[in-house]
Amino acid sequence: MNVAALLRERVWSASIPVEISLHSADCSSYEAVPYLVHVPRLSYLAFLLPKLHTYFHANLIYPDVSPFDAWLEYDHVPLKWHYPLGLLYDLYSGAEPASSHNTPAEQAIVPSSEEEETPPWKLTLHFSSYPKDQLVQLDAHEKHLHDLFINNVKEADYLRNGTGKTVMSLSKEDSEQLWEGVRQRDYRRFSRINNKFLNPQGATLRHVPMRLYLPHAASPQVGKPSSPSSYPQERGKIEKAIMPGSVRVVQGLIPVSSSSRESLPPELRSENCADKVLGQRQTVGTALNTLLPSLFRNTRGPCLIAAPVLHGAILPLDAGVEDLIRTAAYVDGWLHIAFVML
Amino acid sequence: MDLVASFPHLSAAEFHTACTTLVDSFNLLQAASHKEHWTACTLDSHESLLRINKEFPVPYPSESHVQDNEDAGLEEDDEEALDHKDVNTPLIHYDILLSPTYSVPVLYFHISDTLHRYPPTMDTLYKHIITQEYIDQTKDVGVLGGITITDHPILNRPVFFIHPCRTAEVMEASMGGKPATSLGYLLMWIGAMGKSVGLDIPLQLILQAKR
Repeated sequence: MNVAALLRERVWSASIPVEISLHSADCSSYEAVPYLVHVPRLSYLAFLLPKLHTYFHANLIYPDVSPFDAWLEYDHVPLKWHYPLGLLYDLYSGAEPASSHNTPAEQAIVPSSEEEETPPWKLTLHFSSYPKDQLVQLDAHEKHLHDLFINNVKEADYLRNGTGKTVMSLSKEDSEQLWEGVRQRDYRRFSRINNKFLNPQGATLRHVPMRLYLPHAASPQVGKPSSPSSYPQERGKIEKAIMPGSVRVVQGLIPVSSSSRESLPPELRSENCADKVLGQRQTVGTALNTLLPSLFRNTRGPCLIAAPVLHGAILPLDAGVEDLIRTAAYVDGWLHIAFVML
Repeated sequence: MDLVASFPHLSAAEFHTACTTLVDSFNLLQAASHKEHWTACTLDSHESLLRINKEFPVPYPSESHVQDNEDAGLEEDDEEALDHKDVNTPLIHYDILLSPTYSVPVLYFHISDTLHRYPPTMDTLYKHIITQEYIDQTKDVGVLGGITITDHPILNRPVFFIHPCRTAEVMEASMGGKPATSLGYLLMWIGAMGKSVGLDIPLQLILQAKR
């Protein structure tokens, strides 16, 4: 097996131990025994809801409640259903990410010892007071989750190929297979369709589906009050109030390879540097420099206050983004990159 | 005004120009004390977010919702808002942002209501927002319908939105091969995207903007 395939498989199989307790407001007994489960990093917490409902059924104050009225919270942060578990964990758990110092990029993507060493992530399950303003309300057929997933798949496809053709031309059956592959954790079913996305016929990959999730403290633009004129009609001032766990999501058009000198950041345009980069791959460092210039001024030197984290590891700035798309993307095709404050 | 360079796609600069023109026209009309049914039209230049507010009509007395209100509880900030005269009239916010991926404007919308009667759910969408004549054509698209719920790119919480993957097609059809200025593009786009969800442009505003 080649390195890329090996990595792809390790990313697919990486999981996080999770301990889920029923919130006392929904629990009829003194304390229900928590539910322990290994959840794949690439999976979604919503898939657990029917099992959790069954498990805690005897402890529920209102046993008739639907499994899809439930929601999960960590440290007062309601966990978004459409963020894969790995992203939620990297954003909120506070776990120290693995560092890649002095190890090749390829080995650093998934720390091998993660599963043995990680203590369970302790989440709280609620069956009442659904935070409708913060979380998408789910339905019994997982249609909302599917819809959010497909929208991400479409957008990733549009970025990679410059058109949405690959997804749009997918047969209904193939489209179902992709979702079932994700739901059932069936790698063969999933990758059969996913490979079509990654290797579009007669085309090279154009842009990188990459989203950056910055905690408000790390984001230079957020936190400062918006000018009073921005929202003169705002009532109640609920709008820009920062809710616990709220993040700033940043994305943009990042070419897979830098093809012209003009597309380079100014400090790389000098002859020597430019020759090394021209026609070459886009790296994590060059991409961050484009998307977050105030945080990542330099394409190689690390930022001193925040670090990009993917699948539990600090991303090396010299890692090529195309390699990452092919090996370490989430199941919706995106590189969802969390930032930790240093 | 220049024509849109790569129609049906809009660049960030073109989007900004169009938004600025629309906001300026709106302000001129306000100054001339034309009563508009938009209560606000503002551009947050920093976020490149065009926001249009309208009052959201409450069709009947809301006694049946009193229970909901108690459940939801009042948020801290509501105390200030209580001073406002017609505080119980909800506002619908139409937020227009340029999609960095599709290079077309995207419509996000939500209702702010001190009584929490209109959370971002499909129930709210089909019961209160989409006009009857558009329900069937909206429901038949995609997994859930052409209008669904997603996180607002700036507010980072769920709001309604119209998925932009067909917008370029719609714009090509709407303009019928005629060249468009960025303002013409934006006005046409609002006309095409907004009507099913209660967003339309006052005629006075169109006339003012095209001057």
